[in-house]
Amino acid sequence: MTIIHALRRIGLRLAAVVGLGLLSVSSAMAHGERAQEPYLRTRTVQFYDVQYDKSHIAVNEQFTVTGKFRLMQDWPDAVSHPDIVFLSTYSPGPMVTRVESYLNGMPARQSFSKLELGRDYDFKVVLKGRVPGRYHIHPMLSIKGSGPLAGPGQWIEISGSKADFLQPVTTMTGIQVDNLETYGTSRALGWYAVWIVLAAFWLLFWLARPLLIPRWIALQKGREDVLVTGRDLAVGIALGVLVVAISFGGYAYAKKQYPYVVPLQAGTNKVDPLPKGHSDIEIKVTKSTYDVPGRSMRIVAQITNSGTEPLSILEFTTANVRFINQQSPSAAGAVHASFPKDLVARGGLVLSDARPIQPGETREIKIDATDAMWERERLVSFLTDVDSKFGGLLFFVNPTGERQHAEIGGPILPVFTEL
Amino acid sequence: MMHTEILDPSGHRAPIESAKNQAADTVLGIAGFGPRAARASRMFDILVVVAVVLLFTGAIHLHTMLLAGDWDMFTDWKDRQYWPLVMPVVLVMFPAALQAVFWNYFRLPIGATVGATCLMLAVAITRPMQFVVWTDYPLNMVLPSQMIAGAIVMDVFLLIFRNGLFTAIFGGFAFAFLYYPSNYTILAPFYVPTSQQGMMASMADLIGYVYPRSATPEYIRIIERGTLRTFGDSASWVSALFSGFICIFMHFIWWKLGMVMSSAKFLPNNTKVMAMMGIKKTA
Repeated sequence: MTIIHALRRIGLRLAAVVGLGLLSVSSAMAHGERAQEPYLRTRTVQFYDVQYDKSHIAVNEQFTVTGKFRLMQDWPDAVSHPDIVFLSTYSPGPMVTRVESYLNGMPARQSFSKLELGRDYDFKVVLKGRVPGRYHIHPMLSIKGSGPLAGPGQWIEISGSKADFLQPVTTMTGIQVDNLETYGTSRALGWYAVWIVLAAFWLLFWLARPLLIPRWIALQKGREDVLVTGRDLAVGIALGVLVVAISFGGYAYAKKQYPYVVPLQAGTNKVDPLPKGHSDIEIKVTKSTYDVPGRSMRIVAQITNSGTEPLSILEFTTANVRFINQQSPSAAGAVHASFPKDLVARGGLVLSDARPIQPGETREIKIDATDAMWERERLVSFLTDVDSKFGGLLFFVNPTGERQHAEIGGPILPVFTEL
Repeated sequence: MMHTEILDPSGHRAPIESAKNQAADTVLGIAGFGPRAARASRMFDILVVVAVVLLFTGAIHLHTMLLAGDWDMFTDWKDRQYWPLVMPVVLVMFPAALQAVFWNYFRLPIGATVGATCLMLAVAITRPMQFVVWTDYPLNMVLPSQMIAGAIVMDVFLLIFRNGLFTAIFGGFAFAFLYYPSNYTILAPFYVPTSQQGMMASMADLIGYVYPRSATPEYIRIIERGTLRTFGDSASWVSALFSGFICIFMHFIWWKLGMVMSSAKFLPNNTKVMAMMGIKKTA
């Protein structure tokens, strides 16, 4: 009885510990993009116009992520230039499969070389649902020497059963593969089994005998003749010949079975940036500060409109965070319905002078981007950067709703008391 | 080998004495083990075998992952130039050290096969668990290579030559040279060409593209260098030959390391050390 009580007590305590442990477990909500230094996210790749055509899909159903990115002219010295890049996606494992990807309309299965700073690129990634669940998916640009930089992520809900997933492929030699997931697996397992059986035979041939201490003593007594006999040698040589025969015979058979094979394909392609749109804007930042207690970035900039139409400031975006000028008539349609709401600042963009900048006019405007997102997205560690600077894109709109954008950036001062 | 034959007056071998001699000529007989000692010794054998398997399954897998990593991890990393070159050089190390230990102390020519089997056991556990169960990648994306073929032949060379140096020269070379053909039989289907977005890709490339690895951009697979392309289709055999050459030296070094690591060394004590440890010298 006492033992039963003791066991029950231990069981209850164990259950309590496990239960408390489970309570503290939470699912991962992001992929570490906030852990990247702010200078990486604000001064390298600026994603914009990112759209997801679906947020709920079934297994085997496709969805598309499209958008553009600007490679910032004021590229940090600490980061390798985008000489070799690869367009990809961030996801928690292969919950979705990649069907196609394009950079400026060119197939992006391989990497691209020599992308140009200060230019824009258009991307498209087609993905397919594989494992049911709810996943956070990002477009991503990997830069050799710098690492991956993620665009704005969106939650995608996949319904159905993983068992229904299929990835049929037809090879260039005419082999019909019903499902890429299982291609070549049983053949590989069969060959592993052959080698394991041979290894097991060789090991058991020796391990079945008296092993360590008696063999060591016999060796000390100089009786090597008993430890390794002529029969052992004969069996060993026969096994060795068999192994060599299987290796080269199997190789020859595989060559005959698959006469047309290619080496692994890896390399870079060249892609031209998007054509330079007409840019009627010049921005000169005269002062920028980050108000630490107020969580507010304040930029004073001289903006010149050298075009023929008045231009209004519509949006400031950096590191996927968007500040929309709510006073602009185009504000309502500025954010696509599929864009993640958690990356749009509630406070918006506050301007000291929201009137359109007239053609030929140069105006000094104080731009105020205030939101807790600066902290939440971990974009304010200016004090830890070796060059305390900020960067981003400023979007303008003309009376017909046509957008233009320009880079904005420069040194920034952290301020620890309210100005 | 010493034979002591006891003959009866008619010249025939005496049955009882013959049986005794036969028993004395076994390993247990030479060691002087009776039935109880033999049973205890067998139990010790089992414990050591279990310990060796557990220890070296972990150690060789860790060693391979640290030094070869993605080359063994992913099917679309098994390229024709560096995979047949790098992998045998990495894989031969532990088997060579184990050969030295098993052979020099016990005259067991199984060290390399033990190492190869331990690695096979490790990947048989880790690949399905890490990639299929935990992260949902298909198994054919993470097929490992095997070194059992080369390991058995290396053990056979040790059995023939009974010598570390010649085993390094012939066995080390054979270990590396057999690696490519014995693994090609497993992986050949993954080099069949297919078309993806108008570009040619092997099936292995396609698997790597279809199942995204966020932290593995395509450009880190760009490793092939121009000079070996001179040999066109035979680049892998050139790599296998060169790998065999490197493995000769690698085997030699790791054989020595195996011996060093399996030897107990004691530092001589002295009065200074004793004083530091608070031990007073007795009169």
